[in-house]
Amino acid sequence: MDDEKVLTRHLGAPGLTTVGGYEKVGGYQGLRKAIQMGPEAIVAEVKASGLRGRGGAAFPTGTKWGFLPKDVFPRYLCVNADESEPGCFKDRVLMEEFPHQLLEGVLIAAYALQVTHAFIYIRGEYRFQRELLERAAKEAYRAGYAGKGVLGTKWDCELIVHGGAGAYICGEETALLNSLEGRRGQPRLKPPFPAVKGLYGQPTVVNNVETLSNLPYIVTEGGARYAALGTEASPGTRLFCVSGHVERPGTFEVPMGKTTFRDLLELAGGVWRGRQFKAMQPGGGSMQVLGPQHLDVPLDFKAVAEAGSSLGAGALVVMDDSTCLVDVASRLVDFYRHESCGKCVPCREGTYFESELMHRLEAGIASRAELAELSDICANMEGRCFCPLGDTATWFVMSALRMFPEEFESHCGAGRCPVRAGSEVAA
Amino acid sequence: MADASTVAELVNISVDGRPVEVPPGTLVWDACEKAGIFVPVYCAHKKLEPVAVCRMCLVEVEGLPKLQPACATRVAPGMVVRTQTEQVRKFRDGNLEFLLLNHPLDCPVCDRGGECDLQDFTQRYGPGRARSSITEKVHFDKAVKLSDKIMLDQERCILCWRCVRYYEEITGEREIVLQERGVHTVVDSFERQPLQSQFQGNLPEICPVGALTHRQYRFRARPWDLRRTASVCSHCSYGCNIFVDAREEQIARYASNDNPEVDDSWLCDQGRYGFPELNRPERVINPEARVGGLRQAVSYQDAVARAAGALLRVRGDHGGTSVGVLGSPRMTNEEAFVLQWLAREVIATPHVDHRYEPLEGISPEQFRLGIAELEGCDAVVVIGDRPERLSPVLTLRLYKVANKLGRQILRVPETFSAAQVVKQLPAAGRIGIVAAQADRAAAMGLRAKAGSAGREAAVLTITEAVNSRGCQDLGLLPNVGPGYRSLEHSGLFGRQLLEAAVAGQIKALLVVGDGADFEAEGLFHEALAKVDVAVVVTAWQGVASRAATVLLPGRTIAEKAGTVTNTEGRVQRVRTAVEPKFTFPSDLRILGDLAAGLGSDLGVQALAAPVFELLAAAVPAYRGCQAGLRAHWEPGS
Ligand SMILES: Cc1cc2nc3c(=O)[nH]c(=O)nc-3n(C[C@H](O)[C@H](O)[C@H](O)COP(=O)(O)O)c2cc1C
Ligand code: SF4
Ligand code: SF4
Ligand code: FES
Repeated sequence: MDDEKVLTRHLGAPGLTTVGGYEKVGGYQGLRKAIQMGPEAIVAEVKASGLRGRGGAAFPTGTKWGFLPKDVFPRYLCVNADESEPGCFKDRVLMEEFPHQLLEGVLIAAYALQVTHAFIYIRGEYRFQRELLERAAKEAYRAGYAGKGVLGTKWDCELIVHGGAGAYICGEETALLNSLEGRRGQPRLKPPFPAVKGLYGQPTVVNNVETLSNLPYIVTEGGARYAALGTEASPGTRLFCVSGHVERPGTFEVPMGKTTFRDLLELAGGVWRGRQFKAMQPGGGSMQVLGPQHLDVPLDFKAVAEAGSSLGAGALVVMDDSTCLVDVASRLVDFYRHESCGKCVPCREGTYFESELMHRLEAGIASRAELAELSDICANMEGRCFCPLGDTATWFVMSALRMFPEEFESHCGAGRCPVRAGSEVAA
Repeated sequence: MADASTVAELVNISVDGRPVEVPPGTLVWDACEKAGIFVPVYCAHKKLEPVAVCRMCLVEVEGLPKLQPACATRVAPGMVVRTQTEQVRKFRDGNLEFLLLNHPLDCPVCDRGGECDLQDFTQRYGPGRARSSITEKVHFDKAVKLSDKIMLDQERCILCWRCVRYYEEITGEREIVLQERGVHTVVDSFERQPLQSQFQGNLPEICPVGALTHRQYRFRARPWDLRRTASVCSHCSYGCNIFVDAREEQIARYASNDNPEVDDSWLCDQGRYGFPELNRPERVINPEARVGGLRQAVSYQDAVARAAGALLRVRGDHGGTSVGVLGSPRMTNEEAFVLQWLAREVIATPHVDHRYEPLEGISPEQFRLGIAELEGCDAVVVIGDRPERLSPVLTLRLYKVANKLGRQILRVPETFSAAQVVKQLPAAGRIGIVAAQADRAAAMGLRAKAGSAGREAAVLTITEAVNSRGCQDLGLLPNVGPGYRSLEHSGLFGRQLLEAAVAGQIKALLVVGDGADFEAEGLFHEALAKVDVAVVVTAWQGVASRAATVLLPGRTIAEKAGTVTNTEGRVQRVRTAVEPKFTFPSDLRILGDLAAGLGSDLGVQALAAPVFELLAAAVPAYRGCQAGLRAHWEPGS
């Protein structure tokens, strides 16, 4: 599609991972402009852009920034680069291809929020990306965009890149703060919210990599122009990671609201091997499953919610007709069981219970009573856990069970997986 | 204290239809309790900050789509809380099912069986039957020796985090940590190093299940075999409130009995685990007397008559001042008062003491500051490490003052320059000074210096042993009478008195109490060997019991009823927790009978309650304080 791009607009330009290369395509002009505008005008522009968080919760960024109490300093900015959602790899692309765009976004946000220390918390497994970011940050320091007296002003801004230790939960913002402080990676009790009491007990904003990477465009081109790329309800563009049973998996930038799942599927070359589409997860491993009837739903927050799911972290996982949804559910539940931080009972014990039952179900040895038990366990987890991880550990299972009840039932007492048996695809 | 919460308007909420009025900021859990509605909790604890990890307390709050943790949600005006709805009930069942999924269910061999919140709530709410086909459990270490005091069963642990938070919030020592994650999460000591804390014994008490247990109590008793008596810890002068749990007239364990003014629900290990001392079998169980050079068992009446006769004889031959009277800092107030009366008024000797070393220059002003009042101080100066060595639980109060309340704690060596210390204090406000009684002069000097520098300072003096404070207040000292009344003639202090006995000036000794202060002193031995008459009332076999010319079986503090006064002047009840192996009269009655034998009448029955009235008449500061109030001394002196 040839719609205007924001995040990937410079794709292909030479030397983009260096300050020089990035400057050649207009890099860091946003930061210069931001400094001239002053904090309040930047916040106003971000509000006008309608930008909503790309980390999963889609909270309006300008509003979030507004929660910082006035006159409490120091404040901190944390960049959430923990990207661990199954099926999600867009932040990785942004960091690998456009590290300076991210750093510029971080610096713009830091200036707008009057922050002097910005922390980039990057997923532990992203070692190469971490080194790349560290190199880019060093360059930014050298070029005067970071460090003491940014661009000749009195404003200092330190950029600290910190690697995680391999826990999905550390993408949850308060667990991220704990981890950054050297504590056990577990979510904190809210309130107080990070905006009031975050990193080291100080007011803190946590934003996703993609969220912040939009800022150079928003500042240079204006919030209104950014918003107009999408629809009124879903402004701007967004990166979607398309993976699973498609011909060309990858990351695609598309306008929000105007694009449908079918468009995304086409961008990725359609369902692979000439097979039929069976189901999709529109927002990464955490989100509810959607079926063929939802392919024409637009990438709009409300429309997807009405379809019974969410865009989550912007990851579309496509499943073809050879897929056993019980198998997929079982694997996803194993993921949550493995990643549960262990803090609260319904998630810690519930994911164990759930996964043990799923194993029995997938192996065809569970009874129908156990299937009912599974729903009941999920009901005792959802909305009862300390943080959303435990809730989301039930969403795929429950939605798949609702949408494909026969598939689940046919496993009961079958002695083996009735779907995978006979299928040549070793999933 | 008229703080903001009492001034601010109360918030009205309803719990299960019952209206209740609470201060703003109150937790829903507390509001439920106030409304008389029980909400089950595991992770919540009155002394710890909420964490909301166990989810047991989830309740419905009108207008909110999800169930809310009562332990961490604060009230809002007009809030409507429901704790008994179908939704809540279903989740409680489900949550208990989750908790039991990986629980070993070894209640029959668990120390906590019968007093376990997991058992209790499962009885009360639980699903009633197991439905799951999942029988494979995640296994952990069932017998981790965390130290010589504490055992951890990781399989029984429900991960409420109380132990971890206890170390973080109450002691600051962080010896227990969470490890691994998900269903493999465990608590353990950091790198399996043995716990070092002096406050480990509180862990099994805050643990809601049988995961942390006392090695001392392990496999010793069942809660339903125990008889529980509220009393006071006898280890030191701090006066921590305890329950004495006894089985077959032996103490099986001490448990804490929260008094926010004193212990704040924490005990030190020395106190908690020190009771085997009181279970020792080396007891005096029969009255005995030396008859013609040979000690033999006699009847109680005979022993009292012989004791009175011998004392009368010495007094007749050599005068009252030839008799020395020694009590013990482990006597009750009632005993101490009667003993000093017996010495001064009946035997007519000024030589009466309850300690070995002399104690001079004491006054109620040295005890002005209360333990809980430390929290109202802007800064606290602690002189040397003696106060905390004498009364370890003080350390926890100081930690609270520093850590939770953010006040300055200044620890200074025993010799210091008051002027220098005052310079380090906040410019204004209330200053607390904590000192061992041995350092009272330095403490009073600092108080004067701070006072003249415009600070309001008060001293908390830490005495030795459970009731030295009471003995001092009631005049079981040779240099002051009851209520610190000055005396015309001072008597000899303990050590001097024994020296006088060795020198032949003291001909008779009346030794009452456990004698522990004297038993280790060679001088005591010599004095007892030298005197003509040694009337001894003691619970324990030892130097005194062996040398006695008349011996009467005494009771241990666990066998007595009466009051003791803690170091801040709080008069608290000790109650008979175990019965001695004999049926002879109590120490207090012995003193009354002895007085009668000497021709004097106490005027009231020799029982704790009437004697307390008697002593309160003599020491008005004690009036009305027998149920746990601090004696009120007039300012001055
Ligand atoms: C279990 C869990 C995992 C999460 N992982 C991530 C993540 O990897 N990256 C991310 O940006 N946000 C993640 N989030 C969302 C963050 O908590 C937070 O909402 C986000 O970083 C805010 O940034 P935004 O407003 O820019 O979206 C996660 C949330 C939960 C509950
Ligand atoms: S739901 Fe509970 S156990 Fe699961 S990740 Fe969140 S806090 Fe941890
Ligand atoms: S050992 Fe006891 S107190 Fe500690 S977390 Fe486990 S259940 Fe809670
Ligand atoms: S008691 Fe409230 S969550 Fe544990």
